[in-house]
Amino acid sequence: MSANQELIDLASSVVASAKRYGADEASVSVSTGTHVTLQRRAGQVEQLVEATSRGLVLSLLSRDRFTSNSTTDLRPDALEAFIKRSVESASVLEPDPLRRLPDRERCGRGVSDETLDQDDPSWRTYTPEDRHAAAQILEQRLHELGGLDVVSCTASVADERGEGVRVLSNGFADGSAGAWFSIGADMTLAEGDRRPEGFAYYASRHRGDLPSPERVAAECVKNVRERLGSRPIESGSYPMILENRISGRILGMLSGPLAGSALHEGRSCLQDKLGSTIASEALTLTDDPTIPRGMGSRPWDGDAFAAKPMSVIEGGVLRSYYVSQYYARKLGVEPTTGGRSNWVVAPGMRSFAEIARDLPRAIQVTGFLGGSANAATGDFSFGIRGVLLERGEAVASLSEMNVTGNLLRILRQLAEIGNDPWTWSATRSPSMLFTDVRFSGT
Amino acid sequence: MTATPPLAWFEQFGVDATLIRRALSEATATGADDADLYFEHTLSTGVGLSDGVVNRAYTTIDLGVGVRVVKGDQVGYAYTEDLSLASVLHAARTARSIAHGAATGAVVPVGIPHRVADHYPVDRLWSDVELGVRVPMIRRWEAAALSLDPRIHKVRVSMGDSDTHVLVARADGVLVADYRPMTDASVSVTASEGDKRETGSYNVSLRGDLSVYDPDREQRLVRRAVERAVIALSATSPPAGEMPVVLAAGSSGILLHEAIGHGMEADFNRKGVSIYASKMGKPIAPPEVTIIDDATLPGSRGALNVDDEASDTERTVLVDHGVLRSYLHDRISARHYGVPSTGSGRRESFRHPVMPRMRATYMENGPHDPDEIVRSVKNGIYCEVFGNGAVQIGAGDFSFFVRHGRLIEDGKLTEHIKDVNLIGNGPAVLETIAMVGNDLAVDEGGWTCGKSGQGVPVSQGMPTVLVRKLSVGGGRE
Repeated sequence: MSANQELIDLASSVVASAKRYGADEASVSVSTGTHVTLQRRAGQVEQLVEATSRGLVLSLLSRDRFTSNSTTDLRPDALEAFIKRSVESASVLEPDPLRRLPDRERCGRGVSDETLDQDDPSWRTYTPEDRHAAAQILEQRLHELGGLDVVSCTASVADERGEGVRVLSNGFADGSAGAWFSIGADMTLAEGDRRPEGFAYYASRHRGDLPSPERVAAECVKNVRERLGSRPIESGSYPMILENRISGRILGMLSGPLAGSALHEGRSCLQDKLGSTIASEALTLTDDPTIPRGMGSRPWDGDAFAAKPMSVIEGGVLRSYYVSQYYARKLGVEPTTGGRSNWVVAPGMRSFAEIARDLPRAIQVTGFLGGSANAATGDFSFGIRGVLLERGEAVASLSEMNVTGNLLRILRQLAEIGNDPWTWSATRSPSMLFTDVRFSGT
Repeated sequence: MTATPPLAWFEQFGVDATLIRRALSEATATGADDADLYFEHTLSTGVGLSDGVVNRAYTTIDLGVGVRVVKGDQVGYAYTEDLSLASVLHAARTARSIAHGAATGAVVPVGIPHRVADHYPVDRLWSDVELGVRVPMIRRWEAAALSLDPRIHKVRVSMGDSDTHVLVARADGVLVADYRPMTDASVSVTASEGDKRETGSYNVSLRGDLSVYDPDREQRLVRRAVERAVIALSATSPPAGEMPVVLAAGSSGILLHEAIGHGMEADFNRKGVSIYASKMGKPIAPPEVTIIDDATLPGSRGALNVDDEASDTERTVLVDHGVLRSYLHDRISARHYGVPSTGSGRRESFRHPVMPRMRATYMENGPHDPDEIVRSVKNGIYCEVFGNGAVQIGAGDFSFFVRHGRLIEDGKLTEHIKDVNLIGNGPAVLETIAMVGNDLAVDEGGWTCGKSGQGVPVSQGMPTVLVRKLSVGGGRE
């Protein structure tokens, strides 16, 4: 799919106009998208949302002063006034000579659209009737598999196709297009006054890659059944095992402290750790924007730097920070990339079930509820729900508990990684086992 | 602003009575029970300072319209950023695909006058304040932060504001406009001592004009950010497990927001999925407890003159002396329950359908002196500064993150504690509220409530309160 020429022309004209008003450099992104969400409940459509949307972002430098601006009002006169005001607004600022548009030689496409394969051609033939049928089948399966104690269940399908272009005053101009599809279900049961809830959700770049309604419904029902009779158990240290779909939450705590902005502002617990062992040697984490059909794949990053895979952690050793061009200049280092694409964790040898079977007693965390992490120290504390496992068998449903620790310690307590990476999100993480994790309950 | 004709602001975008009438006719042509158009124009600006330089500015224009068609409790929704007649009519046809029937009747004339309240009067629009006015303000805050403590070595300051104009046109002819200002300021600092590093921040978010920034507020903004970073340098994690918890006056209202507020949103109750679904009219807390959700607090972030589907707003009593009194309703749930809307129908923007949402949620004062409450606790924790919270509506389990607090030992506040999550079950916790203080404070910070992917600005408040038992996610061995 080649770039949308109409959008490139619009973006180019905005760049030219910004320069005419006095900008020295400018970067313009224009995007359009069509989105549909269809939700069914109680045997009928509950909500249908559909829209075709658009927007434009203009970043510019004028005499070393930087402004970032966006608008959805693309009428020619309004756009012209917007550009003029965006350039003028720079005049109130102070110069920041480190702020530059990206170097032209770094900008470009790191991977072809053919390889990324993000623009499922079947989107064009996906009719309203198809969407209704997909949601209807899922809702039927939920009702079939649910029980008499079901209070409510919802079946949802959503999809979006978007096109975006990026034009820089340094000569870079390109665009890309992509789609995504999702299927999701939630279910609520009656248990006395309590209404335990469970859900299942999948998203993919190609519609044909989505799991069947049967699988989504079965997983939703399993998740909600597992919540019945939940209670806290005694505070203490337990092995913690996480299924693939949820283990990304622990890794996700790395995002803040890995950011160039956090390093520069002295609020990163990973300061001065490049080349040091920060995790168990089982952990190898790669940022890979080039994965075909990957949810986080992209041809270039926020600086328009050509996308390429980057080793973040290799055998427990920290290999890269996330440093955009701006923070690279501030930190006096080479830029890497300013933001995450796909996170790929190298898988281990065994399945979740095989790992769990070896544990006399462990807490399987099935969901997180609130909580936060301090990027400066790595200290974290999250609410959880889960299941108490004995040799892989569920013996109790857990709720009203917290898990507390420190990022740098828990990464070293990573004892084993499963062989089952989750491919339905930008974090492609397998199941994970951590030893001696602190849980608070009663 | 309420005296100007409702259409006045949107005429510059080509919106007139004809466009509205044609769009509503189109929306209701296949048998809608209700329909509305929600026009929105937001102009946001802001400036930021880091590394001692006022080095970034932004402006954002968001313009569009959402068309909603309601049939029974089914909703069809479409939106567009293009306010041309053709585009709005297309959105109306898309939204009505939910309804299959004959036109419901003649469309009434547009523009039945409707006077709205004025809970956020301002002297001038933010877009009439020159961008440069903000620069010396954030410079001043930076200088003050650096001068307060030698351990502060990085300061980030930002100030942003927005003018939002909305226009709701309903199929019954009602046409209502509202102007909604918002200003946000944030100071965030890094402190270090030896090899320890901590951050602290404070922010203000209010519906007001430049006069919001009086000397007291400016000083608080800076001082609190610095205090939080410096205190954190010596704070530790508390013990783990169930213990008594004293919530300080102010942003502790996050407990109400999570423990009961969401559960009172009537869409959840209509579907039977809230743990409060069967408790209306019943006692759920001690008689000292009265909980309010209020759109009328002047200048608060959660204040609303009129909700996002043109219903008048109000001060809604959720819990009256311990007894559950009212859910939070939008028009759909109000019709389902046969009651008036509580003016709680809100949306993040024109891109989102309406849902019942909170506004400013707080607990009314009780009889106790705050010191007396702390003195009554043998061993427990005192929570002062909060981060995020979350709830499972059906199970009733909720949690909130405490950034700063103190240990309570033998009735006295002792060591500083930090970064701990608390978790409990909403109805169970409300039953164990043991003492309510007489020092209600509504927090001035920028809380945003998330529900089904939509964020809306809210406020929260609380007097000092003692909860007998919450599970504290302490890390102390």
